[in-house]
Amino acid sequence: MAAAPQPLTSPPAAATNPHKRKKPAAAGRGKGRGKGTKQIGRHGKRQKGADELSEDHRRSRKPSDRFLKLLRKRARDYNSDDEDEDEELRLSDSDEEEEASVSGNEESGGGGVTRFEEGCRAFRVAFQKIMAKKLPDDPLGPILSAHKKLVAAKLAEDAGEGKPKGEAHREKRLAAEKGHVIPKDHLDSKDKELCKIATHGVVKLFNAVAKAQNSRKGLNPSRTKDAKVLAKETKQTFLTELNKSSNQSQKGKASSNFSKHVSKDEDEPGWAPLRDTYMLGSKLKDWDKAQASDVANEQTEIPLDDDSSEEE
Amino acid sequence: MARVRNKNGRRGGGGGVGKGGKWKMPASVARKQQAAMANVDQVTGDKIPKSFVFSRGKMPPMLRHLQQDLRKLMLPFTALNLKEKKRNNLKDFVNVSGPLGVTHFMILTNPKSSPHLRMAKTPQGPTYTFQIKEYSLASDIANSQKRPRCPPEIFKNSPLIVLNGFAGLGQPFKSLVTFFQNMTPAIDPATVKLSSCQRILLIHYDREKEIITFRHYSIKLQPVGVTRKIRKLMQNNKVPDLRDLNDVSDYVTKAGYGSESEVDDETATVSLASDVDKLNRASKKSAIRLQEIGPRMKLHLVKVESGLCSGEVLYPKPEPNEGVVGKGKEVEEEIEGQEDEDLMESDDDPEDESGEE
Repeated sequence: MAAAPQPLTSPPAAATNPHKRKKPAAAGRGKGRGKGTKQIGRHGKRQKGADELSEDHRRSRKPSDRFLKLLRKRARDYNSDDEDEDEELRLSDSDEEEEASVSGNEESGGGGVTRFEEGCRAFRVAFQKIMAKKLPDDPLGPILSAHKKLVAAKLAEDAGEGKPKGEAHREKRLAAEKGHVIPKDHLDSKDKELCKIATHGVVKLFNAVAKAQNSRKGLNPSRTKDAKVLAKETKQTFLTELNKSSNQSQKGKASSNFSKHVSKDEDEPGWAPLRDTYMLGSKLKDWDKAQASDVANEQTEIPLDDDSSEEE
Repeated sequence: MARVRNKNGRRGGGGGVGKGGKWKMPASVARKQQAAMANVDQVTGDKIPKSFVFSRGKMPPMLRHLQQDLRKLMLPFTALNLKEKKRNNLKDFVNVSGPLGVTHFMILTNPKSSPHLRMAKTPQGPTYTFQIKEYSLASDIANSQKRPRCPPEIFKNSPLIVLNGFAGLGQPFKSLVTFFQNMTPAIDPATVKLSSCQRILLIHYDREKEIITFRHYSIKLQPVGVTRKIRKLMQNNKVPDLRDLNDVSDYVTKAGYGSESEVDDETATVSLASDVDKLNRASKKSAIRLQEIGPRMKLHLVKVESGLCSGEVLYPKPEPNEGVVGKGKEVEEEIEGQEDEDLMESDDDPEDESGEE
């Protein structure tokens, strides 16, 4: 039983240095002979039926001791992870050979099995001990403390990451919608006022249009009544009307403030293609005056200037 | 003569290859003529202002919608489906704008996620840079209304522009007023058809807050003194529901519900100069109703440059200390290719300056 605790207490040592494990095992075998013999006995039982056969077999094999060695070597090569193990194997081999020489062929065959069983047992005991441990009811898992830490860290990381992700997304969305305002269902006073101003502007324009077009309205030849009235009017009245209308239209423009070109030559035809400046870039004609007239226009043309002054 | 010969030659030789065998002007000439004609108003002979609305840099979807709304607002003399690519720089737009007769640019930018709108005249400038403090899309406004009204016909004519609150202001605003007035074709009161006045753009300046409010309304005319039922009958072109009535006259004489609530404001009534539609006849009184169609914006004038997104900074006036820095920025801006980055950087500086002032 002395062998049992040893692998348990020194599993990390065994992992790092297999030499240590092997030696106590070998020593333990010497001490715990009973077990070893038991196993051998078991093998012996099993072999009892085929005793002669096995004996024959061994004997037939005996000349091929070198062959056996070769096989062992091959197995060693096959299993070998590092040199230490090889050495150890060789060491145990030599031990076994000594044993074999003492106890005969039968034992030499069983010795290898015992050794293996020993290692297996150590592992088994260790495993059982671990499995028999009472575990704390921990969701993170019982096995390794490092595992515990790692899992905890990972979980924490996940939790930490998830939150900033959502926040970043929200921030991004907010940034994308910066300045975007969804209007209320009802008009507030500001909106109403703005609507009023706009309405006023439209009214002003329509009035200006009415003023400017009323003089020409009679000219509408599509209505027979108007045409009759028109027929009565002579060319003279028409000409005076023209002169008047040009003056009027100038006034109308000034008051309406919607058009930019206040100063037009009076003798210009109404239809653009008949004018001398049509598509010639009329702005070039009086480029030197443009600056001054622009300023003048601005002052006269700012729409609803009167309104704003009224408001104030 | 040449025309006839060409026509015959086509017919003889082509044998139905051409489209109907009609004589065609050489494509290049036709294109040029068409372009020249398209840029000039046939009645007034003025150059029609045309506009491009586009954006520079990466835009969140909301601002993309705003861009599309602004395009709709600038109809009909704008490119509704203008596609800009990442590699297009401002120079490309300027190069295209010449042959197409485009005179105005509206450029949306989003430097450091604060939306900006710059309005510029091409190709010489000036450029007005506004920060968009708040904005609402046309769809938002339609959603907020019980009965949104936005028939597609109203976009066939350019909007009227009403400027308010700009009177008696200093230089940047004076030139801004002219800029806004030139943004849409001029209206000649003597010749304008009232039926073409369907939309109105209100630009209101709040002096205390230094904020320009930008609203877009549709104009609806309602005849005064006509009951709602008659109006609906005329408008809908539908056979009215007379099931509950004993006599046809009841349909007219019975008072409707809504008509009394719409008390006509005296200030909002006009006598029309010409026929607008079959309900609003000439020399009849009509009430003007405005309904907002959006988009709406609150703009803050941040910077005025003399060139197109470059050149001397006219507003805010650079202070002696900061003048050096400003000059440096200008030089950077003039370097082509990296304009966007530079523009975005330079956007922020004037804000700071204006904040200090």
